[in-house]
Amino acid sequence: MIHPLAWVGWLAAVMATLSAGRNPLHLVLVLLCIALVEAASPPTTERRSTPITPLRFALTVTAISAMLNALSVRYGDTVLLRLPDWLPLLGGAVTLEALVFGALSGLTLSGLFVTFIVAQRSLPTSALVGLIPRAFYPLAVVAAIAITFVPTTLRQARQIREAQAIRGHRLQRLRDWLPLLLPLLVGGLERAFQLAEAMAARGFASAGQPQHATALRASMVTGLAALLAGWLLILAWGQVRAGQLLMLIGGALLVGTLWLVGRRAPRTRYRRTPWASGDTAVLIGAAVAIIAFTLPLPGIDRAVLAYYPYPLLHLPRFDPVLGFATLGLAWPTAVLRGGRSRVVE
Amino acid sequence: MIQRILSGAIYALSTAIGIAAFLAPFFAPIVQQSAQPQAGAATAPLLLTALVGLCFLALLFEIQGSELSAKSVALLGILVAINSVLRFAEVAIPGPGGFSPIFMLIILTGYVFGGQFGFLMGTMTLLVSGVITGGVGPWLPYQMFAAGWVGLSAPLLRPLIRVLGGEGRRGELLALALFGALWGFAYGAIMNLWFWPFAAGPAQQYWTPGTGLAETLRRYLAFYVLTSLVWDALGAAGNVVLILAFGAPIVRALRRFRDRLGFVYQPEWSEQ
Repeated sequence: MIHPLAWVGWLAAVMATLSAGRNPLHLVLVLLCIALVEAASPPTTERRSTPITPLRFALTVTAISAMLNALSVRYGDTVLLRLPDWLPLLGGAVTLEALVFGALSGLTLSGLFVTFIVAQRSLPTSALVGLIPRAFYPLAVVAAIAITFVPTTLRQARQIREAQAIRGHRLQRLRDWLPLLLPLLVGGLERAFQLAEAMAARGFASAGQPQHATALRASMVTGLAALLAGWLLILAWGQVRAGQLLMLIGGALLVGTLWLVGRRAPRTRYRRTPWASGDTAVLIGAAVAIIAFTLPLPGIDRAVLAYYPYPLLHLPRFDPVLGFATLGLAWPTAVLRGGRSRVVE
Repeated sequence: MIQRILSGAIYALSTAIGIAAFLAPFFAPIVQQSAQPQAGAATAPLLLTALVGLCFLALLFEIQGSELSAKSVALLGILVAINSVLRFAEVAIPGPGGFSPIFMLIILTGYVFGGQFGFLMGTMTLLVSGVITGGVGPWLPYQMFAAGWVGLSAPLLRPLIRVLGGEGRRGELLALALFGALWGFAYGAIMNLWFWPFAAGPAQQYWTPGTGLAETLRRYLAFYVLTSLVWDALGAAGNVVLILAFGAPIVRALRRFRDRLGFVYQPEWSEQ
């Protein structure tokens, strides 16, 4: 199993590479890495199943995006066919360039979707809740209660439904759902009070959460004000550097304040997820990809990423250094396969 | 007093920046024209996402600090579980268009328990149901923010309902239903905004920098009418039907528990 923080790093890297541009060669390389990780990830369980498979979703979105763009954009030199002008919104030339650009947009969106599906499928729910920052521990408790009570609520709904059915109640009209919904809600609220008493008896915030200290609140306000001022500097006066610096300071103040608050909330774990060398490899691979795709480094031609097929479709350029950096995104495949073979042994 | 001022400032600043970030495509081109055109345009998507995320965290931090006790944590957890089950049912048996049963409970809890509780109900419902139904993605923070606003704004109805005859009257239910209808459209329109400036398509429906406020509005309206109006209309109709059918008994039940929520044990020695 890969550590949740390593998954977060991998997600950030994939998002950075996918949003960097629409060069088909680099895009296909990123998608190939995602597909490899998807193939190595654990099989879908009933609980985590999605309404549509990732491959079917990718094919549908890419086809729809290509078709919509080809039918609505009249730009491009390679005319595939001409639709009659009397067709409202659709009439005119359908070009290869518009078709390709639409397909590239669809592929980018599909890549984002599949990436999150893969990470979510590989992480247990407890690990997802564990990713909530410590500063928000009351909300992490809320999330844990909700996730724990979902199966109970489903079971209670079934019991109420059966009890009503024995009394001859049938679900025919919308109003017939009320005798099911209301006992479910009232029963849930009663359970909430029992739970609250149990929590208070164990010392959980029986007199409410302590108010945030004045200094922490002041730091929050300063951070937000710096963000707003920096944004206004960029938008209204075109002072990009100064604005970005101010926004960076504001963001750092906010994150720093949350970190300080988080330090006051000690976290204990029943079972700690160990950090393995594979996690370090995944994180290094993600960091290399993020640095190569976002920072202006010498020896990397990031201009190749901004591929635009109009007005005449042309072959995209390929930067080998960027291509090599992209391969780091495939690291989870090796870690996942290694973990599975250990389990088989 | 200072705490109140600081708390108000956090609410005001984070909400203002959040709204401005969502509406950036409408005014950014005008402001940029008056300064340096396209200044920072390449970093715009990342900048907006970071802004929305940070404002959301600041607002969440402030609300959780002032709102959550053991009772409200437990109550919120259970209500979120019930609403997540409703979304689970919606994913298993999809409703027509944008119909979703989760907004009824977000609106009603926000109206009865207050805006802060409603905000947390909206954000946590989207978070937990996203985790359960496989709906975690880059869209989730925006969904949480928008659903939080649904609950946060629900108490704004109270003055109107007082004018319409007060609690328990027919006017209360009608006002809640109308509110649900408005949010049916508004939620869709807000959720379009986070990707609309970066989407590609016909020029008369998509955002281009420097086109001016009127033209940007006209393009967004064309985009919204063609891609989202019918979808959102079904969502709005669903909210109205659900609130009219189930709203009155649910509000009565929630009010009964609100009174119990306010009951606190006071140790004798604390008064000495």
